Amino acid sequence: MAKKNVITAALILIGIVIVAFFGIRAFHAFKHFQGHGPFRGKPPAANQIDVSIIRDWMTVPYIAHLYKVPPEAIFKSLEIPKQKENAKKNLAQLNKEYYPNQDGVVLAHVQAVMQAFQKQDPPPPFPATPVFTPTPTANP
Amino acid sequence: MSSTISNFLLTQVINYGAPLFALTLFLGALGVPLPSSIMVIAVGAFSQEGYFSWLQMSIVGILAAFIGDALSFGMGYYGKGWVQRKFGNSAIWISARDSFQRQAWVAIFLTRFLITALAIPTNWIAGGSGYKFSRFILYDIFGEFTWIIVYGGLGYLFGSQWELVNDFISNFGGVLFGAVILGVGIWFARNSQNSNRNIA
Repeated sequence: MAKKNVITAALILIGIVIVAFFGIRAFHAFKHFQGHGPFRGKPPAANQIDVSIIRDWMTVPYIAHLYKVPPEAIFKSLEIPKQKENAKKNLAQLNKEYYPNQDGVVLAHVQAVMQAFQKQDPPPPFPATPVFTPTPTANP
Repeated sequence: MSSTISNFLLTQVINYGAPLFALTLFLGALGVPLPSSIMVIAVGAFSQEGYFSWLQMSIVGILAAFIGDALSFGMGYYGKGWVQRKFGNSAIWISARDSFQRQAWVAIFLTRFLITALAIPTNWIAGGSGYKFSRFILYDIFGEFTWIIVYGGLGYLFGSQWELVNDFISNFGGVLFGAVILGVGIWFARNSQNSNRNIA
């Protein structure tokens, strides 16, 4: 009987802790929705997409598709050869391979280039002038 | 660790599309701890961006999850003998099995999309308690359909902001999981009180 009471009390206590923990996190996540509602009507055009959504798990062809720019131009601005294998690697992998001593430089560069490209009106033929040029530390 | 797995799978689903998406959902339904819900929301967003066909991905997703669930049900079914030998005479097991048989459809349907952490145990219990496979399939398909349409639909609606949706849904799922544990605790407490009164 005592064992059953201990299990019951433990279940109630664990339940309360889990509800409280995830409840607070869910509340904070919900607050972030403000100003980020679903799009109404047409989805945003390529030049309206915030570059801060670019993540290091994204591949160059995917980013090129999202922002409507040729993938070759992104590879060129990164000074990374456009090979089939590189097209399948994400930004983190490209960073590790071509700029091993400069953490996050590929992500920052791609974000900066996309932003510079978006700011120009009318958009110039890609690539836009790079904001900065990373120095490759490894040869492909 | 889970973020590393998510990032790896997101890159691979971009590279390989439907086959990788199907494999993730299939393995997830078998109990492999993969971020299946994140993939469904993300694929919804990728479809909105025109990277995938939402119809093709929805069909592939529902089928993969369904096949995984059916196999998971089979694990419970073929493990029935062992459970019977181990717990067959236990009053708690008999009571739990009978309650499950009465309200199985709620458990099967809701654990597909709302309390996903309990989906695998539900499949095993359904298979192991002799629940009719045709009924399991019916509620499973409805649940998986709801999962893909609601989660994928939210990803589609929010597009590039899909990570916000994922953040909220995963935490809300945690709240519901905690509520289930709390509910079971309260149910035990009330049962214990009632049996004490009966003894008195």
